[in-house]
Amino acid sequence: MSYGASLITHLWPLVLFLVLVIGLISLMLAGPYFLGSRRNARATGEPYECGIVPVGSAQYHVPIPFYLFAIFFVIFDLEAVFLFAWAVAVRETGWAGFIEALVFIVILLVALLYLWRLGALDWRTFRQKRDRASVLLR
Amino acid sequence: MTMTELHALLPIIVIAGISVVLMVMTAFFRHQRLASLITYGGFIAAAVLVAGQTGSGPQQATPLLIMDEYSRFFSLVILVTSLAATMLAYDYLRRSDVFKEEYYILLSLAVLGAVVLVSSNHFAAFFIGIELMSVSLFAMVGYMVQGRTRRAVTLEASVKYMILSGVSSSFLLFGIALVYADFGVLSFSGLHSLLGLHSTSSYSQIGAAMIVVGLAFKLSWVPFHMWTPDVYEGAPVPVTAFLATVSKVSVFAIIVRFFIESGAFRLEALVQALVWIAVLSMLVGNGLALLQQNIKRLLAYSSIAHLGYLMVAFIAIAGSNLANTNLAVEATAFYLVAYIVMSLIAFGIITTLSSPERAEEAETLAHFRGLFWQKPGLATAMGLALLSLAGIPLTIGFVGKFYVFAAGVAGQLWLLVGVLIVGSALGLYYYLRLIMEMCKAPDTEPAISREETPLENRVVLSALGLVLLVIGIFPNGLITTVHAAVAVLR
Amino acid sequence: MVDVALIDHVFILAAILFCLGLVGVLVRRNIIFMLISMEIMLNAAGLAFIAAGSAWGQPDGQVMFLAVVTLGAAEVAVALGLTLLLFRRYQSVDVDNLKELRG
Repeated sequence: MSYGASLITHLWPLVLFLVLVIGLISLMLAGPYFLGSRRNARATGEPYECGIVPVGSAQYHVPIPFYLFAIFFVIFDLEAVFLFAWAVAVRETGWAGFIEALVFIVILLVALLYLWRLGALDWRTFRQKRDRASVLLR
Repeated sequence: MTMTELHALLPIIVIAGISVVLMVMTAFFRHQRLASLITYGGFIAAAVLVAGQTGSGPQQATPLLIMDEYSRFFSLVILVTSLAATMLAYDYLRRSDVFKEEYYILLSLAVLGAVVLVSSNHFAAFFIGIELMSVSLFAMVGYMVQGRTRRAVTLEASVKYMILSGVSSSFLLFGIALVYADFGVLSFSGLHSLLGLHSTSSYSQIGAAMIVVGLAFKLSWVPFHMWTPDVYEGAPVPVTAFLATVSKVSVFAIIVRFFIESGAFRLEALVQALVWIAVLSMLVGNGLALLQQNIKRLLAYSSIAHLGYLMVAFIAIAGSNLANTNLAVEATAFYLVAYIVMSLIAFGIITTLSSPERAEEAETLAHFRGLFWQKPGLATAMGLALLSLAGIPLTIGFVGKFYVFAAGVAGQLWLLVGVLIVGSALGLYYYLRLIMEMCKAPDTEPAISREETPLENRVVLSALGLVLLVIGIFPNGLITTVHAAVAVLR
Repeated sequence: MVDVALIDHVFILAAILFCLGLVGVLVRRNIIFMLISMEIMLNAAGLAFIAAGSAWGQPDGQVMFLAVVTLGAAEVAVALGLTLLLFRRYQSVDVDNLKELRG
């Protein structure tokens, strides 16, 4: 089979898929235009957010703890990647592999312990912590 | 994994253990003295283990790491350097108000990376080692930004270092991927029968070039040096001391092993490019050092120049004559040791003189004016380091430079040898200018504090000064060690 | 296993991604976008590893990809920490605020 022919056999399902997707989307967008009734109320032009009226600008500052949790998620998510790779080969690697995986998990656990003791897992904002402290003092 | 492999890996496991133990300790109670003692103890234990294995022949531990005389020698050098750098940093950290224990955690991680790096003979270990080291390093540069001791430039330095480090690792990785695509091999020795031999395709040529670019960023070869002076100036000086020695030396050690074992010296275009990089490094480094008023920037440019000198020996390895190439590898290893000793003293003195409580570092000429009259001991050590950097006889720097010179002459690299001489002459000027400044009468209001130098710093600096002189006068011991260490390559 | 002839195409894609990332790092001044560009460069290298590994029929390429992803996460973790510091100091994520070191 020549290179061009093999390329076509590989790619034709993808091309078909693309055509179908574009066709379906055009149909869905064009359908309401012809079928639906026109109405222009106060909330018609607003984006739909599960029934809540969106308020304010989209450009607000995400509180800093969210970044922190995103970072934690990324890091501990990768733990799963490595453990999955180990899980696939768990019979071949035997006890040595088990001990190595254990060491890996323990090190990450130590990191988690460190983060917890450092207060990085504390979800409250600085102001909430201060208010809570003042309540306790009273 | 067999027991012999485990035994060979024991030093690396010990170093990894330091950071885990420190992390547990820091989680429950913070104590800088204890953290520093654990770090010293771990480094000493690892160094003793490495030294105990010396002479037991090469031991491949997993397909990734090799423990042979070369990697043991450089592991020892890294461990001893890190020990000295940590001890020099103790007092500086004690007086600052940032989290102190994290410095030790990050430092032991960086050392772990460096030791893995010099022991690697496979791209995977090479990559993991270099990245473990860089990520810990840019965290070290950056984390002291908070607190009262912050200097405005630290944040800038860490952001710059982080971005350039990320870009350079991408280059490195893409290069490795291209070489791997061409040959399907990731171990250095597996490449030896492939790279540069058969009608090499553009994949592996571009790949090798990209690997060199990635490493050139880390080694601050001109034209990839832009970050160096900024990071040296902006980073807290104990971090700079570590960055300037351990990271440079471990990367250089592995690039030598990589080039020899993979046969990358057969790529002529690459070697030709290296020649021009070397010429530029020596000229730009020395030339711009002449213009600097800030001592840390001056030392940054001088380190660029010194890495250029090292490249003369490195390129001489490419020659076909076996005796010459052995001489060149020895010269590289010797000069790396000399470079560590000299830079560590210079940065150690700046660390000792700096006062983090006033958020300033002893980095201007004013801090050094009349130092001989106020702190004769420190000034003598600094003077020795500068003389050695300039390559004055009876110092380790002279022997190193002579060695490099001999390697260059034996390899008939006349252009490089010529530039080496010009560069050294330029270097003499700015090193001696600093010494003259130290000899002047002190200002009425000296810029440095009158505090007593802490014992730890005095011990380390005198030991380093002694090494500098003793090896400068009797270089034979180190030459024999280096000779044995590099014999395993090729 | 991927058709070997397709490897060139994958590598061209990877090279384009790599160049896009590099240009992004060089021209963007917002640090978040610079980090995204760095991630694109890293993942271009990762794609190249996957392609090369499958061309040779070895798992090594995928192992290296795991290492690349891990590095990416570690780098981003530290980098976002620095971004927060940058934002606290200048109330902006524009790296042009950092201009004290010159020469």
